[in-house]
Amino acid sequence: MFQEEKRDFKKIEAKIAKIRDRKEKVEKLIELGKFYFLNEKYDEAISKFKEAVKIDENNAEIYYNLGIVYESKNLPEEASQMYTKTLELNPGHKLASKHLEKIVGK
Amino acid sequence: MRQCVVVGLGTFGASVAKTLIEKGCEVLAIDEDEEKVKEISEIVTQAVQADATDEKTLRSLGVDKMDVAIISTGENMEASILVTLLLKELGVKTIVAKALSDSHGIVLRKIGATRVVFPERDMGVRLAESLATPTILEHIALSPEYSILEVHAPKSFIGRTLREINVRAKHGVNIIAIKKKLPYLTETGESDFKEEILITPGADEEVADGDILVVLGPTDKIDNLRNL
Repeated sequence: MFQEEKRDFKKIEAKIAKIRDRKEKVEKLIELGKFYFLNEKYDEAISKFKEAVKIDENNAEIYYNLGIVYESKNLPEEASQMYTKTLELNPGHKLASKHLEKIVGK
Repeated sequence: MRQCVVVGLGTFGASVAKTLIEKGCEVLAIDEDEEKVKEISEIVTQAVQADATDEKTLRSLGVDKMDVAIISTGENMEASILVTLLLKELGVKTIVAKALSDSHGIVLRKIGATRVVFPERDMGVRLAESLATPTILEHIALSPEYSILEVHAPKSFIGRTLREINVRAKHGVNIIAIKKKLPYLTETGESDFKEEILITPGADEEVADGDILVVLGPTDKIDNLRNL
């Protein structure tokens, strides 16, 4: 009985560690993407944010960042898709709605 | 301070009035529709519900002392012609009138409008131009041979200085300004960018990904730039 409980505990611990690792990885990728964006390395930034999206596809922040980079590269269609996705996941995202309004028109 | 009168507060008139205020002008707004007057009254210097085709009314409002008049009662052709005529007689120097059709425009010009605008027609042309050539953002024709236009920086320009690109010698046009996007992080750490316009950029200025170049040159050279 005690042994079984111990085994379950270890399983849960492993799961939590995995989730934590995933979260940390996404955070690092976002930071890296932002770093490239700030240095006007837009293609590198896009590749980092895309990597992050593969791990966490429901993270509004990543889509917003992709939108900003696409807009900086003068790709308004791609940017507006990303802002729309951001607002689907987080309807209160003020910057995303500001940029989307600017592209699509009020 | 420039004093302007806007007659007719539809979408066009209202947005002209609002922008003039933003640019620091004094604006008198006139319309027959009470609702429209009410809506704009908080924005403009003075908003009046009145019949602008009545000379006495215009005089009592001091319209004769205005620098510029914008007549945007386009939907009512008769009123727009009458108001233009009255303002001309009252001595307003600059009269800008909105026309619905070419013939309407001809009449307005004949009776003294200093400038006739066709917002719908012009916007339609601009929209079609931007859809037909998406890389060209704004196109100002200076003459049939010369234009000013905005283009996305071609890939082959990115990462190079204007000296290296040598656009005047190689492409026969001048870059008169560069619109740049400057990435930054907000106070809460979110990505955003500011837009900056560099007028007459120096030869050491480097063209970056996402820059918009404002180019002046012969129209035929523009086609070459488009295909880079």
